[in-house]
Amino acid sequence: MPRRNEFSARRTGAVAGRVLTQIRRDRRTLAMMLVMPAMIMLIFGFALGGQVSNVPILVDNQDSGYTASIGTSSASLHLGDQVVQLLRGDSTVSVSTGTYGEGVSGVDSGIYSAAILIPSNFSQISFQKSKGENVTPSIEVYLDGTKPSLDSGVLGALQGSIQNTSGANQFSLVQNYAFGGAKFSGLDVSLPSVIAFVLTFLILLISLLTITRETTAGTLPRLYTTPLTALERLLGYTIALLLLAIVTVAVILLIGVGLFGVVVRGNLALLFGSGVFYALANVLLAVFLSNFAKNELQAVQLAPIIAFPSMALSGMLVPVAALPTWIQPFSRLIPMYYANQMFEGVMLKGYDIGTLSLSFVVVIIMELLFFILAMSTVKDKMS
Amino acid sequence: MIKTENLVKVYRDGSVRAVDGLNLSISTGEIYALIGANGSGKSTIINMLTGALAPTSGSITVLDREIPRYRHEVATRIGVAPQEYSVYADLTLRENAWFFGRLYGMDRRRFEPRFREMVEVLRLVGKENVLVTNLSGGMKRRASILCALIHEPEIAFLDEATVGIDPVLRAFLWNYFRSLSKSGLTILLTSHVMDEAGRADRIGLVRAGRLVDEGEPDALMAKYNARSIEEVFLKLSEKEVGNGYA
Repeated sequence: MPRRNEFSARRTGAVAGRVLTQIRRDRRTLAMMLVMPAMIMLIFGFALGGQVSNVPILVDNQDSGYTASIGTSSASLHLGDQVVQLLRGDSTVSVSTGTYGEGVSGVDSGIYSAAILIPSNFSQISFQKSKGENVTPSIEVYLDGTKPSLDSGVLGALQGSIQNTSGANQFSLVQNYAFGGAKFSGLDVSLPSVIAFVLTFLILLISLLTITRETTAGTLPRLYTTPLTALERLLGYTIALLLLAIVTVAVILLIGVGLFGVVVRGNLALLFGSGVFYALANVLLAVFLSNFAKNELQAVQLAPIIAFPSMALSGMLVPVAALPTWIQPFSRLIPMYYANQMFEGVMLKGYDIGTLSLSFVVVIIMELLFFILAMSTVKDKMS
Repeated sequence: MIKTENLVKVYRDGSVRAVDGLNLSISTGEIYALIGANGSGKSTIINMLTGALAPTSGSITVLDREIPRYRHEVATRIGVAPQEYSVYADLTLRENAWFFGRLYGMDRRRFEPRFREMVEVLRLVGKENVLVTNLSGGMKRRASILCALIHEPEIAFLDEATVGIDPVLRAFLWNYFRSLSKSGLTILLTSHVMDEAGRADRIGLVRAGRLVDEGEPDALMAKYNARSIEEVFLKLSEKEVGNGYA
């Protein structure tokens, strides 16, 4: 009678030991397990720990002041100036001055997050209100509307300044929104960066896996013996993956726009084009990174190394203006930052290609850089 | 046609001289067999001759061109079947052949008749549209040879060309190689199967990256007073190591 095959701690230990030995040999996996969690925790910790600060706003203070007479003495009130001064002292906002018209067009084109108009009779009305008259001082605010946390930061700073100026008096804020404001749903506001993230992660992953397959299939040394040059090979990968990416972008937009009906105020073709254009950046990044991946496992590990920091720093989770000031410059180095600008611009703000030209130019430069890096690290021989 | 002088390959860690001062000269239409044990440096030699691997020192001339410097020029005129199957497992036989044919600049008109001919010669009729992953080991080997010869090269480098191919087909393949060489194709192949190397015009015996002897099979057997190439190889090994090898 054969003995029943009983559980063996020795065999179990052998499997565990073997796997640990293999991981120890695979330095990259080991580094991933130690460095990745630390990196992700640090990036997200710093990114999410920031407070909204230095939101660019424009204030048009038209307040002409008011000389109030109480009994025999008179006092000159310049409440508008005080509001501006308090706003300047508030680190939430970064105050510029100019005409309200300039501010409004600045908000429309993305230079300012808000424009504020303090009317000429602000001091007067405030004084009359304090005397018990039935009037309400009002301030006009023109807000971006696509970044709820920035809008509330600006409104909070403004309300605080007015309250500190004129006591706890009632006042009204006349709020206008540049790009729809309250009409945007949470999905509308977050979808542009979700599309950017999905494109970042998926295109990188698929591209890396596709190219690395050549390495693991053992066909690369064979290709070295053909007339195929490294440039032709990398361009060949790029074209195939770009065609694949076009399909991916189409599927994402079909579901986003077709199924969920998210707002696209701008040109749908421009949105599609921006998606494909940004996907190309990721294809080229993958072509570059694939020079460092020896197998599919390493390829799979590379995608999150790019995707997670992009998520934290590109303005997806919190607006870049709400990141700690010392982190904000790093956001500008991340391709996804510009994807967010493009997708938000077209979808929420209805921008045309001219308004977005800076983002497009930066992405083109990044694409060229990735391809140059890929060409300078590609191997066209065995070593 | 193929010529090397003092060819040396030292791999990156510096510990192994995989090829150690190789002098080789192979003329047009010749079938030359490099034979030697696994790890003796045969594949390293082929990889350097085909331009896939940069030599550490020494010179290589293939088709009167310096390698690896002019390897892309020479590349259209040579065909290579590496030791690994090195065809795409997730493509069909036809798709593989067409891919490599296109790399070598073939158009459909030139490709189709050549492909039909090769499929028949290599006994792969009916397998044209089968994924390579579903072919047997011997068929994959033949698929690799097909892709190496599809563009009618002037030199064929066949690394362990006939491993895993059954004896009947192997005999047939050798007849085919012979007919190709008569029409001017130069063939450099490697093998660790000594008896089949006896069919080559000349044999080079490789040990530890060095050519220990070369010559026509009959001449070699006579020289070492051996009845087979295998015996030649064993006697050479004994002579080299002194107290016997392997």
